[in-house]
Amino acid sequence: MAEQAEDQEQDVSNGAATEPVMDAPGGGSVAPEEPETGSDSEDVALNAGGKSVEIGNFRVFMDLRLPEFDMGHCKAFSADNLRRDEGNAFALVTDPVLPTRHDHLVFLTGMHMAGQIDLIDYEIAFWPPFGRKTMVLFYDKPSGGKVVPRENKKLAIDEHDIGTVVVEPLLSVLQAFGEKGLAHRNIRADNLFFADPMREKVVLGDCASGPPGYDQPSVYETTARMSAEPAGRGSGNLTDDFYALGMMLAELGVGRQPLKKLNDQEIMELKLAKGSFQAIASQEKLPLILIEPVRGLLCDDPEERWGFAELNAWLDGRRTKPVQANTEKRAARAQNLAGRDYYTVRALAQAISKNWVTALGPLRDSTVEIWLRRGLGDNERAKALSDAMRQLQWAGTDKRSAEDVLVARSILILDPSGPVRFKGFSAMVDGLGFMLSYDVQHGRGPQRFADVIVRDIPSFWFGRQEGYSPEVQKQQQLYKNLRYYIQQQSAGYGYERCLYATVRNQHCLSPLVEEEFVIDVADLLPALEKAAETASEDSWPVDRHIAAFIATRLEDDVEGQLMAMQNPSDEVEYSRAIISMLAIVQWRHGPDNLQNLSHWVARLMEPAIKVFHSKARRERVETEIPKLAKRGNLVELYNLINDEQERRKDQSEFVEAVAEYSEAESEVFDLESSGPARMELAEKVGQQAAAFASTMIALLTVSALFLMHIF
Amino acid sequence: MAKGKGSRSKGGRSAFSGLSVVASAVLLFMVALPTFITLTVGLLPSLVAFIFDRSPGRTMARCVFGLNFSGVAPYILEIWQQPAQTVGGATQEIFQPLALSIMYGAAGLGWLLYLAMPPIVANVLNLSAQRRVSELRKKQRGLIKTWGDSLIKEVDRSGN
Repeated sequence: MAEQAEDQEQDVSNGAATEPVMDAPGGGSVAPEEPETGSDSEDVALNAGGKSVEIGNFRVFMDLRLPEFDMGHCKAFSADNLRRDEGNAFALVTDPVLPTRHDHLVFLTGMHMAGQIDLIDYEIAFWPPFGRKTMVLFYDKPSGGKVVPRENKKLAIDEHDIGTVVVEPLLSVLQAFGEKGLAHRNIRADNLFFADPMREKVVLGDCASGPPGYDQPSVYETTARMSAEPAGRGSGNLTDDFYALGMMLAELGVGRQPLKKLNDQEIMELKLAKGSFQAIASQEKLPLILIEPVRGLLCDDPEERWGFAELNAWLDGRRTKPVQANTEKRAARAQNLAGRDYYTVRALAQAISKNWVTALGPLRDSTVEIWLRRGLGDNERAKALSDAMRQLQWAGTDKRSAEDVLVARSILILDPSGPVRFKGFSAMVDGLGFMLSYDVQHGRGPQRFADVIVRDIPSFWFGRQEGYSPEVQKQQQLYKNLRYYIQQQSAGYGYERCLYATVRNQHCLSPLVEEEFVIDVADLLPALEKAAETASEDSWPVDRHIAAFIATRLEDDVEGQLMAMQNPSDEVEYSRAIISMLAIVQWRHGPDNLQNLSHWVARLMEPAIKVFHSKARRERVETEIPKLAKRGNLVELYNLINDEQERRKDQSEFVEAVAEYSEAESEVFDLESSGPARMELAEKVGQQAAAFASTMIALLTVSALFLMHIF
Repeated sequence: MAKGKGSRSKGGRSAFSGLSVVASAVLLFMVALPTFITLTVGLLPSLVAFIFDRSPGRTMARCVFGLNFSGVAPYILEIWQQPAQTVGGATQEIFQPLALSIMYGAAGLGWLLYLAMPPIVANVLNLSAQRRVSELRKKQRGLIKTWGDSLIKEVDRSGN
């Protein structure tokens, strides 16, 4: 038991410390050793020297790195726009094992917005160094270069110009994002570029190449979101962007990243102990002119945090309302946990999440509850904790699981705005999907996510939220679906469905098509067509991932097909459901000719042919299948086995034939088993016939004699 | 009750029939003694058959009687054609070996007919049943040819 506890604690403490490595897909965890250059030639053409690739309308030079324009975990490469002579583009190659942000790509592509780097286009293409397909974003190169110098040179913006050069353009960006209901979540000094050579305005860099907030240094995140793992920091909202803006102003003012000397845990503790602004102000020397906006923007209460009105007022030189320095209530006495004293509920919540096993003791013996009541005077939280404890007493046989739930709920009681934390898992509710994607693609698997959903921890999180928020309502609705999906075991549901339902740009992770980086359902069949060339004879073209991907991305309802797939032992229905699903995708999105896939499907149609009972019909279908497969049309193949009228006719005729056969069998049985009875009957009939014949002979004789006598 | 009434009426009819036979015999004995003697001697096998055959309907006795009577009838007619019917003439005629052979031989043929007819009928019925079985099997083979093994499986399944 003690050993298990040790292990668990170790896991928890290691879990959050996963920093992305930027040199390879998957943070270096799953990169292929030998890239297969030239294996993909659909829309990418390697030049003779293998130094550049053509991707869409661009030529990307793989040997011309632009480290200045690297954005977060993505590398920048020089690129030429083949369709336009003017302009200076560069390519940003995304990590194939980190999902991009769909809404942001759609919003920003082809649009010019003051204050935001121009996203010219994006393509999914084969990237030789990765040896697989990935998404490449093409940005217009900002002509002024990076704002933060790479070496410790002097900052290029005077502190008095920060308002006009930085804040003004960024406010228009935030305004535009806000109108779309989006948050940038990548506002940091490192992601800021001068838009012009004169360095009069800045533009924000990429915000679509990875999960929201993934590349942000933790100091740029609010205390709530920095407790989550980088991939699970969540989509957030404008208040999170304002907070990051505040931290960015602080960095621009100080000339280096604030609190860089401290590690994440120390930053968190400092922020929780003093409040974000005080944490910065106590460690760094902020320029006087920036103190007011930084204080307003780094306010830990999102309601009190500066927004557009306050920033515009500040830009106009007007005074704004003062902001509370630190709203976190401090207890009169400390609560000790694992040898350390904690004075605030959020600090204690964070400590509990880091000391999962040792935290159970003080929670169970009501020490924390008493601390809340007496030390903090927070009876509401104390009562909630007491209720959670009572539920532990009602727990059935799975006591260990109930204890974990108690700890997770206690964390949410203490820090309701923070992430959902369960053992090593830590993600905001709006970041659950990205966290799942990260876990699945980085070797951790979906178990942690599934544990959280199965134990219904997010429901408790929703219950702890105060007031009405449309965002929370939306998330709650989405969560209900996730819970339903995870409870279903069959193909098309499970964690796979949760993944595709929550992350719009998650590519299909089926081993059949993973390297083809299929994000849109329209690209699925061409990818499967390619996979069909090397597919094994007995494998199915639809696995759990593909079923879930189609169910989520296809406009049509495929629940009927998923239902039929629940029972793989019923080969007829299973194969029909798979063929039907693929046929619908082809009917909706094409392409018209899928010869390899059709042949693959045709091979697997043998069970589906069994829907017909008549041998003649089966033979006709068997003859037709190769012909239709040659034409590459799955819809025709499906229609062949799904002719409802023919099936009904076949069925009714089969029922009649069964009845006819049974009647014949029964008659044969009767005839074969009625020998003795027949002999008895024969004797009776024979005797009667003999008597009759004898009487007739007598009558004839007498008649003949009389006639002879008369004539 | 009804059964008892039925059997009583049957017994009554049989008694009446026997009585009428005896009455006819007595009348014949008084009116035409030579004919009576000829019938009595000639129909002796039938008489024996009627006594020993206790089967319902007495089919054996009826078989024997039919042919036995066919054998006796010519001699009755012959007696009736004589101008003076005498007991002596009748006895002389019927006790000739040929006459007795014809009368009793005919009765024997009746008995043989009774023995031979049931096996013949049994064979006919068996042949008919075999032909029907063969027809049905052919039909089943045709159904299997059209519908395949699934038909058998379905029949087995529905049978279970």
